[in-house]
Amino acid sequence: MSRSIGRRIEFEVAGRVVGPALAAFERAKKLARRRGPGRPGKKSSPFGPPLEATRKLKELMTTHYLAGRYADGAVPVAWVTSGFPVEILRPLGYHAVYPENHAALCSVQRVVPELSDAVEKEGYARDLCSYARTDLGSVLTGKTPVGRLPKPDLLCCCTNICQTVLYWYRALAAHFGVPLFVLDTPYVYGQAPGHHRTYVRAQLEELVGIAERVAGKRVEPDELEAVVRVARDGTRLWGECLAQSRARPAPWTGFDGFFHIAPIVTLRGTEACNAYYRMLRDELAHRVARGVGGIRDERHRLLWDNLPVWFDVRGMSTLLAERGFNFVCTSYTNAWAEAGSRIDPADPIGSAVLAYTHIILNQDLPNRLDILRRLSRDYSVDGAVLHSDRSCKPYSIGQIDLKQRLARELDIKVLVLEADHGDPRAYSVEQGEGRLTAFMESFA
Amino acid sequence: MRHAYIAKQRDEHGRKAVAVLPVHYPKELFTALDLLAVEMWGPPGAPVSADAGRVQAYVCAVVRNALAFLASGRADACEAVLFPHTCDSIQGLATLVTDFGGWSKPSFVFQHPRGGPRPSSRAYYLSELGSLADGLAGLAGRPLEPEKLREAVRLHRRIDAARAALLDGRRRLALDDVELYRLLRRGEWLWPEDHLAELEAATARLGPSDVQRGAPVLITGYVPEPGTLFEVLCDAGAFVVADDYAAVGRRVVRPPAALDLADPFHALAELYWAAPPCPTRASDQVGRMRYLAELYRRSGAAGVIVHEQKFCEPELFDVAAVKKTFAGLGAKLLYLEGELETELSGQATTRLEAFVEMIAATARVA
Ligand code: SF4
Ligand code: SF4
Repeated sequence: MSRSIGRRIEFEVAGRVVGPALAAFERAKKLARRRGPGRPGKKSSPFGPPLEATRKLKELMTTHYLAGRYADGAVPVAWVTSGFPVEILRPLGYHAVYPENHAALCSVQRVVPELSDAVEKEGYARDLCSYARTDLGSVLTGKTPVGRLPKPDLLCCCTNICQTVLYWYRALAAHFGVPLFVLDTPYVYGQAPGHHRTYVRAQLEELVGIAERVAGKRVEPDELEAVVRVARDGTRLWGECLAQSRARPAPWTGFDGFFHIAPIVTLRGTEACNAYYRMLRDELAHRVARGVGGIRDERHRLLWDNLPVWFDVRGMSTLLAERGFNFVCTSYTNAWAEAGSRIDPADPIGSAVLAYTHIILNQDLPNRLDILRRLSRDYSVDGAVLHSDRSCKPYSIGQIDLKQRLARELDIKVLVLEADHGDPRAYSVEQGEGRLTAFMESFA
Repeated sequence: MRHAYIAKQRDEHGRKAVAVLPVHYPKELFTALDLLAVEMWGPPGAPVSADAGRVQAYVCAVVRNALAFLASGRADACEAVLFPHTCDSIQGLATLVTDFGGWSKPSFVFQHPRGGPRPSSRAYYLSELGSLADGLAGLAGRPLEPEKLREAVRLHRRIDAARAALLDGRRRLALDDVELYRLLRRGEWLWPEDHLAELEAATARLGPSDVQRGAPVLITGYVPEPGTLFEVLCDAGAFVVADDYAAVGRRVVRPPAALDLADPFHALAELYWAAPPCPTRASDQVGRMRYLAELYRRSGAAGVIVHEQKFCEPELFDVAAVKKTFAGLGAKLLYLEGELETELSGQATTRLEAFVEMIAATARVA
């Protein structure tokens, strides 16, 4: 796609001026509403005071999506999967779009059924991952809660989260007629053998060439090193935010974490991302120091495995918080902290091989069990909910065995909860609440 | 029957059997090492043990049934199992059954390159072949001899050539679909030389002119189960003129005219990239649609049947494109979805019969 200066100006203005101004306006509107007379008879909230950082989070994400509306034609645009080494694209000035993050947003806004219906009519089965259906539905209809998504110049998918993304991005490549780069990270049993690492390394080198060609620019080693350093620091900061929940009470809820993960997924490798997490970490640490909890009365601490049920996060967290249960850790949010520990600015490509191959979803079940065990111990949980996510087979296969092992080895209560991360039609709220309630009663 | 055959292969030829999950794998390595590959497409029917419950009901029947089968001990005639990395579900099964119980004998994985034909993928494919060859040689208790591998490549080329002749000459072949698919699928577990003998005997039934009457259909999908589908098709007055099943047609390689066997591993890599496009090998979607359109045109099919397994992501992601491709060609299309039943359901039978009736009325003359 040809790029113009006028478009570039629109893109910069949207990102630097309009986005923050819009977020400030929204904030002021909300404040004014809050200052009005309180609603009579409103039940007192089971949650602790809201996090100040949330406002900044909204600003950051609003700005990101707003700038995105003007990105195509201004800068190179890549659509990337959440586990893709975006650090390589940043020095080339790519605007990165994360269809998974966008699909999560669609789920929170409850527009998944409408978008999915559109692709189901074309022949996509409802049994496919709801992220993919949502994204393809958005592409097909042009509907999105963020106004507009920029068209990609390059599609980048990494098989380290699943093979589903490969099929999904093949369909996108056929639709947009743009190059698809697949970073193939062979699944790890125990340790990745040498020839797998060589393969991933060779692909990363191929990626540099393709990304440069599409962007019309070369990757400068010092720029790459700087981005990788920022990305590494960002994942560390994210890890520090999560680690605050080792305290009792945890200063926030695991469900909060699902939303605050957005910058490390979509803005990894940018200063804005790191500045945000510094602020969040400091706020959480301050809450820990003052004994302020994410819920008012933390009596039980739980682990959550798998993606969130985006469209019912609020409902579930309220149900649990009202009874003194908090998800203090989740394998999903932890994944982004863990991967970053391997990133090394001194060896951007070599360390990316290790970091991006050893993602939780790209490793065998003994490794998954180890992570769950470790999280359970580090965060002193007395129970776990394994979300059996109809849409995400790679994350869900094995959970029935994992449940038994966790319960037996750690002597904790474990529930396998059938749901879907994106599509409300695949989940009965009543049944889910019934199962969660019975689970909580078993702690009595 | 299969158990008796495996036992005979072991007793008479000293060949160990290896259970192999779908779909693509370098069978030549097995042949060269005198290992009998016995493919496990489920098997069809209800799961044979409660272990199927260790994976959720939204995982395909192939994986649920395979888990139940392996954990029940019914595959114990095999000395090892191979999991090609066909999809997320087989990948999950590979770790579940070997790490958390169900299979304690040796297991191997074969991870295809998923990034298309580029230099890194080629180099990786060769190294992955080498790694599997080493593992299998350990199981066989003998080193892999290059000459043996060359012989195996030649043998499998003859098998492919015979299969291609039968499929491409379908109209002139005096076998009905039930017989043809039974024959082709015996290659999933017979020793390759035994299979070749049967195939070559069948090629003798290719006549000079068309013998198939009825409406010709192109069939695409995962695995031709249940076999009764072909009985229904035949009774309704149709026959399969072109096959694009992952289990059948997509595994018939029509190699470049001169295959260089100096380095048999390179020859295997060459064949891998020459195989028909298949989503389980991450083939590009646009290229696959072009291939299907060409297959349709060339075969003179009067209609298309898309026959998939429920919950099968690699296949289901292509269905929209498949439908669009054939709609663009003005082809009539029937979509069927199954879960490895042993019989075609009454509803599916009725739909199939109605479809054949419709296309028969407009059947093109080849
Ligand atoms: S939700 Fe699961 S299946 Fe879907 S894209 Fe993410 S990892 Fe893949
Ligand atoms: S039917 Fe599909 S999902 Fe199931 S094992 Fe085969 S390729 Fe995988």
